[in-house]
Amino acid sequence: MYILKNAFRNVLRNGGRNLLIGAIILAVIVTSVIALMISNTASGIIDDYKSRFGSQVQLKPNMDKVRKEAQEKSTNGLMRIATPTIPSDQYIAFGESDYLQKSEYTASTGVNNDKITAIAADKGGGSGMMMAGNIGGSSGNKPTQFMMSLRGNQFTDFTEGTRKLAQGKMPSKKNEAIVSTDLAEANKIRIGDKLSLQGEVKNSEKGTTAATSYEVTVVGTYYDATEEYAEGAMENAYTNRRNEILTTYETVIQQLKPNMDGGIRINATYYLKEPGMLDAFAKELYAKGLDEKFDVATDEESYNKIVGPVEGLKGISVTFMIVVLIFGGIIIVLLSSMAIRERKYEIGVLRAMGMKKWKVALGLWSEMLIITSLCLVFGLGIGSAAAQPITDTLLAQQIESAELEAEEQAQQNSGGMMMGPISMSNSASSAEPLRNLDISLGSDTALQIIGIALLLASIAGLISISRITKYEPIKILMERN
Amino acid sequence: MSVLSLKGVTYQYEGTKKNVLKNINAEFEAGKVYTIIGKSGSGKSTMLSLIAGLDKCKDGTILYNDADLKTIDRDVYRAKNIGVIFQAYNLITNATAVENIVLSMEISNSSVKNKTDFAYELLEKVGINRETANRRVLKLSGGEQQRVGIARALSHHPDIIIADEPTGNLDRDTEAEILKIFTSLAHDEGKCVIIVTHSKKVTLIADTIIGISNGKITVFKENTKN
Repeated sequence: MYILKNAFRNVLRNGGRNLLIGAIILAVIVTSVIALMISNTASGIIDDYKSRFGSQVQLKPNMDKVRKEAQEKSTNGLMRIATPTIPSDQYIAFGESDYLQKSEYTASTGVNNDKITAIAADKGGGSGMMMAGNIGGSSGNKPTQFMMSLRGNQFTDFTEGTRKLAQGKMPSKKNEAIVSTDLAEANKIRIGDKLSLQGEVKNSEKGTTAATSYEVTVVGTYYDATEEYAEGAMENAYTNRRNEILTTYETVIQQLKPNMDGGIRINATYYLKEPGMLDAFAKELYAKGLDEKFDVATDEESYNKIVGPVEGLKGISVTFMIVVLIFGGIIIVLLSSMAIRERKYEIGVLRAMGMKKWKVALGLWSEMLIITSLCLVFGLGIGSAAAQPITDTLLAQQIESAELEAEEQAQQNSGGMMMGPISMSNSASSAEPLRNLDISLGSDTALQIIGIALLLASIAGLISISRITKYEPIKILMERN
Repeated sequence: MSVLSLKGVTYQYEGTKKNVLKNINAEFEAGKVYTIIGKSGSGKSTMLSLIAGLDKCKDGTILYNDADLKTIDRDVYRAKNIGVIFQAYNLITNATAVENIVLSMEISNSSVKNKTDFAYELLEKVGINRETANRRVLKLSGGEQQRVGIARALSHHPDIIIADEPTGNLDRDTEAEILKIFTSLAHDEGKCVIIVTHSKKVTLIADTIIGISNGKITVFKENTKN
C-alpha cells in the first residue's frame, strides 16, 4: 500500500518530467482511441456486408459467353442474342442444397388483356428477346408480343422507396395482384376487380408454345416513382414499368408446364450458410445441369463499391495506429530510460534503506500506471469526441478517391461497342458507397485501449525493472558521493 | 556477546588486485560505541559498507547474531537490523523530512501505528521542529539533512547503528547533542553504535577505537566499563 501512496506522491513531486511522459502517452492513447474506434466500427460493417454479399448468390448469364455463342451461330449478318434461361424445375432443384440456409425466388412473364390499354401502348409490345446486328435480315418466327408483365415476388422497389402502396394491400395470397396507379386510372381498374391475363410458355428447343391464362384479383394500387424504362432498354409497353402487375411468386409459376422451359422467367437468390461455400455450391449447380453460360457469383462489384472506402479507411487508421504505437513506444522507452537515469540516486537510497528490487520496480511501474490511467481518462474523452469528425473527413476522402479511380477506369474501358441492353452487360454496379459511419466507443474498443495503455505502462515498467536489476545501491551512492 | 563479527574479511574493488581490507577480524558488541578512524582511503567507509550489507567481501565472513550476511536476506537486514547514517545524507531529496522517516518505517514494516506522529517525535528528538519536518529535504541545510538522516536511521529501532562522519556538517552544539544521542542509544538502549570519524570529539565518546591503516585494523582503546 505504501508503494502506491509513494507512487502517487512521486507523480506529483516530479510534475515536469511526468507531464512530458504523460503528453506522449496521451497522444498515443488519443490516436489509438480514434484509430481503434474507426477500425472496429469499420470491421463490424465490413463483416456484416461480407457475410451479406458473400452469402447472397445469384445465377447471372455471362454475357461474354452469350455474345460469343450468338456470334458463332449468326447467319446473314443477323446476330440473335437470346438471354439464356434456367428451367424453373432446375431453379427449384438448385435450392435444395445443403450449402444453403434459404432461397428466394422471383418470377415474371409477359401477359396481354384485350380490355386493358397498356401505358405507352402506341410503342407496341415486346417479348423479352434481344436483337442486334442487321435488323433488315431474316428473323425467323416472330415471337408473341406482350403489352404487360406479371411479376411474382418482385417487391424490392417498395423497400427501396421508389414504389409505394397507394390503396388496398400488398398481394399475399395466390392470384392476388396490385397494379400501378397509372395503369389503374387509365383503365378504371378498381380494387376487387378481376383481371384475365393471357400469356404463353414455350419449349425453346422445339420452338413450340402453349397458351397460359391467369385470373388475378386486384387487391391494391401502387404509386410508381421508378424510371419508366430501365436504362438502355428498348422502349415499348412491355418494358414500361407502369405496366408491371405485381403478384406472388406462386401466382406466376402456377402456369408452368412440363417440357416448357421458356415464357416464364424465374430468378433465384440463394443464401449460403457461409460465404466460403460458394465454390462448392457452384460445383454442385453445374453438376445438376446448370448451363455453363451462367455464372454462380456473389455481387463482388457492389460489395467493393459500398465497402471499399470503408476498407480504405480501416487500413489508414490501423496503419496510422501501428506507426504511432511504434514511435510512441520508442519515445516512451527513451523517456523512461532518461527518467530512471535521473532517479538512479533515489533508487540507490531506497535500496540502501532495504527496499527490495521488485518493490522499487513496482513503485516505478505504479507511477507509470497512474500517469497512464489519467491519460486513459482524458484520452478516451478526447478520442471519442474527435473520432467522428476525423472519420467523416477521411471517409469523404476515400470516397472521392474511389470515385476518381472508378471514373479513370471507366474512361480506359470506353471506346468499345456495347451490344444489347446495358442492363445485360457487365456494367458498373449501381450500388452507392457508404457515406456515413457512425463511430461509437464500444466495450471491445475500450478494453483494447486499456490493453494498449497497460502495454505502454508495462514497456516503461520493463525499462525500469531491467535498469533496477543492474543497479547496486553502493555503486550508485558511491558515484553520488 | 558480539552482535556483529568480522572474521578474516578481505575486500578488493572490482577490476583491481589490491586488497583494501586484509584479513580483518573484529567483534562488535551491543551497548557499546565504536569509532573507526584512519586516513582517507584507508578502507573505513568500505568496512562500513560491508557491515551495512551494501557490499560483499571477497573473502571471510560477516556474522550478524551468528548469521552469515551472505546467507541472510541483506535487504531485510538493511531494512530492520541496521541503521545507516551516510556522510552525504542520502535522503529522498524531493520528499519532506517526515516523509523520509515514514518511508523508512514502511520499508522496515514497522509496527508503530501512527508512523507520522512517531516520525515527528523522532525528528523533534534530533532537533528538527514540525515546520522544518514538513519541508522538502532539498530545502534543508546540511546540518538539518544530517539530523534527518540520523532520525531515519533510528526510525526502525535497529540493533546496529553505523554512521559515516555523522557530525561533519554540524555545529558544535548540535554535534554535542547528537553524540549524546549516540551514547544514550548504546548505553541506555543497548544498541551497537559504530561511527567512522575524523573528529577527536567523537572518539572521546567511544568505548572502543579501531584504527585502520593499510587494510589492517588496530584496536587503540578498549573501554571495558560497560
